[in-house]
Amino acid sequence: MRNLKRIGALLLSVFVVLGVVQPAKAATPVTITIWSFGNVIEPWAITEYKKLHPEVTLQIKKGELDAHHQSLITAFLAKKTPDIAAVEVSYSGYFRSYPSYFEDLRKAPYNVGTIEKNYLDWRWDQGVGYDGTVFGMPTDVGGMQVAYRVDLFKSHGLPTDRKAVSALWPTWDKFIATGQKYNSKLSAAEKTSCTKKKICYGFIDNAGTIYNAVLNQASAKYYENNNTKDGKLVYSTNPAVKKAFDTTTKALKANIGTRINSFTSDWNVGMNNGIFATILAPAWMMDYIKQQAPKTKGKWDIADLPGGGGNLGGSQLTIPKSAKNKTAAWEFMSWYLAPAQQLTIFKKYGLFPSASSLYNDPALKNFKDPFFNNAPVGAIYTAGALKLKPIFEGKKQRAIDNIFGQALSRVAIGKQTPAAAWQQALSEIKKSVG
Amino acid sequence: MNNKSPVSDASQTSGNSTGRGGRRTAAPSPWRADAQPGAPRKRKSSRREEPGSIRALNPGWGYVFTAPFFIMFLIFGLAPVVYSTYIAFFNWDPLELEHPFVGLDNFALLLDDGQFWMAVGNTFSIWFFSTIPAMIMSIGLAAILRNPNLRGATFWRTILLVPNITSVLAIAIIFGQLFGRDFGLINLMLDIFGFDRHIDWITEQVPSHIAIATMITWRWVGYNSLIFLAAMLAIPNELYESASLDGASKWQTFRFVTLPQLRNTITFVLIVGTIGGLQVFAEPLTLGGNFNGGDSRQFSTLTLFLYEQAFVNNKWGYAAAVGIMITLIVLVISAINFWLTRRIASEDAK
Repeated sequence: MRNLKRIGALLLSVFVVLGVVQPAKAATPVTITIWSFGNVIEPWAITEYKKLHPEVTLQIKKGELDAHHQSLITAFLAKKTPDIAAVEVSYSGYFRSYPSYFEDLRKAPYNVGTIEKNYLDWRWDQGVGYDGTVFGMPTDVGGMQVAYRVDLFKSHGLPTDRKAVSALWPTWDKFIATGQKYNSKLSAAEKTSCTKKKICYGFIDNAGTIYNAVLNQASAKYYENNNTKDGKLVYSTNPAVKKAFDTTTKALKANIGTRINSFTSDWNVGMNNGIFATILAPAWMMDYIKQQAPKTKGKWDIADLPGGGGNLGGSQLTIPKSAKNKTAAWEFMSWYLAPAQQLTIFKKYGLFPSASSLYNDPALKNFKDPFFNNAPVGAIYTAGALKLKPIFEGKKQRAIDNIFGQALSRVAIGKQTPAAAWQQALSEIKKSVG
Repeated sequence: MNNKSPVSDASQTSGNSTGRGGRRTAAPSPWRADAQPGAPRKRKSSRREEPGSIRALNPGWGYVFTAPFFIMFLIFGLAPVVYSTYIAFFNWDPLELEHPFVGLDNFALLLDDGQFWMAVGNTFSIWFFSTIPAMIMSIGLAAILRNPNLRGATFWRTILLVPNITSVLAIAIIFGQLFGRDFGLINLMLDIFGFDRHIDWITEQVPSHIAIATMITWRWVGYNSLIFLAAMLAIPNELYESASLDGASKWQTFRFVTLPQLRNTITFVLIVGTIGGLQVFAEPLTLGGNFNGGDSRQFSTLTLFLYEQAFVNNKWGYAAAVGIMITLIVLVISAINFWLTRRIASEDAK
């Protein structure tokens, strides 16, 4: 009994000491508000940062891609911004025109001039305003390659080794031809299912995705950088746009795709059921495939994208001018985007680092992913990212992208001829963008 | 706001009539148990003198009590209307510092905009597919619920409201899976029944309208049937008694007693449904996952079009002009409704 009391007293005193000591040690609590979308801020970083800085609470609000950027605009007007806002590449062209709403990261206390060299140049430039302001720092590179199903390739008479598969399609024309070859091996039942307007089996999930892949291999898209706020619109004259459109309509006419659109419930089911054998996969999509189709583990592999490297997506983290906790925000942001953390994030979630200082690091180069048949994904995506030319992201390119996307969908369902869809797209863009 | 009044009405009337059908006028006032029902005039005068009663208060207090509503209305109702009317005359890019005045250009462009008229057409088509079947279904449901022999009536009446309090987004996700083209449940059912092709619920115009209308119907049928139920319970029992004395069948009773008595309620539900129908937004947005309402804009509605102009194209002035046009359309429809109601009322008088 006395012993118990003694232990109790001892414990009590320990608690008191802890209770007294801890608040004295801890810094004042800070809450950093972050607005993002998708998987820009990965959960690992949140728990890890909490260990390093127990006084910091990360409050993350996730939205849909478009809704997120739209609410960011209204937040700027109301001066009720988060401390950190993610800006995706398709909107970076828009915010490039309005750098005055962001902190200029070249200035103190950020001084990003000293770390700029650690990052891939063209990804860095996507966070630079028209006046030279650095308003954002790059997160990941949406480097694009082809994810393919080894088992389906085998059963449809195609090679399975990733080197041999890459050799099948040095160009987009060869890619389409391979698709036709694959489709010719579909069973009779699979073919009639499609002609009867039921499930369509096919080589690629959605041939419309070829458009962005081809376009991002060019050196210019819808705008030309003339160092003004708005940029110069060249969508109707730039041959690269027409080429991307024509390549895609050619693939649509060749019927190499299923009728499934990306990010639909049909897509998720199709991924599991082997309805299609390939996906044009940016690095960040690897994690999506793992999440949605865990049972297909080991059946996938990664091959090179036809026509050289590709890119889709990627974001910058920014600090809005009206942010409340700028120093704390910068501390988290610079930690999260530092090469070491980018490497961990890539290994865990497949977000390919924009920190080019990692590209020669064996930890990245030799990284293999068992889900993708032990493909050396690090080396494959590095090669793709280095092949890309810098490309200028224009002010309203998201809207233009959408209009071309709709035009291609009309071709895909046979509602319009490619020529008519192209004309309608041009006039719609003229109307809504200029 | 409008939606709430019929419910409170409903609970009162149903409370009265479930007690004893025809004796409502003779019921004593619950507030004054000691009052003499035979002497209304005297009671009135005594009330006026009574200190502390509402009537003894300065009438100015009435303004204080209603002020919260009007203050909220001024801030969240009128001010945005005035402001958006103002910006409709400008070329208003949100983050720009200067907004050039363009006069009536936005309206001229809008009247010439095929996408706008397409949105008008889609909105009315979706309204048609959602309102008319929903109306028939909710009257039918109310007729079932009115049956005094129904067991667990309170349970059924309560459960009718569940779709109404479910998040629109959750509904849209579930219905998105139901209406999936390749693996959606509805197309799988069609397969089982030997239908030899899948319906594309998104890219085809009429099916997409039906899919959206189904979501809206599912959400509002229960709510509307409660309104109809309340109206049915308010129909005096004498009418049914005399109908049964005349040997009317169940259908005839429904057709010649219940339906005519529901006229005003039908008009009310129609007006509220139309105003809601002109603001359909979340359903088409989540069905397509995009603000354009499908690749051929086949289910772009008026509010979706407004949102697209404001937040995808960043044309706030143009979007404001769309908003004003929506208001005008609502006004026209309300006028038609008003005219219809008056016609029905004068028919009743005949």
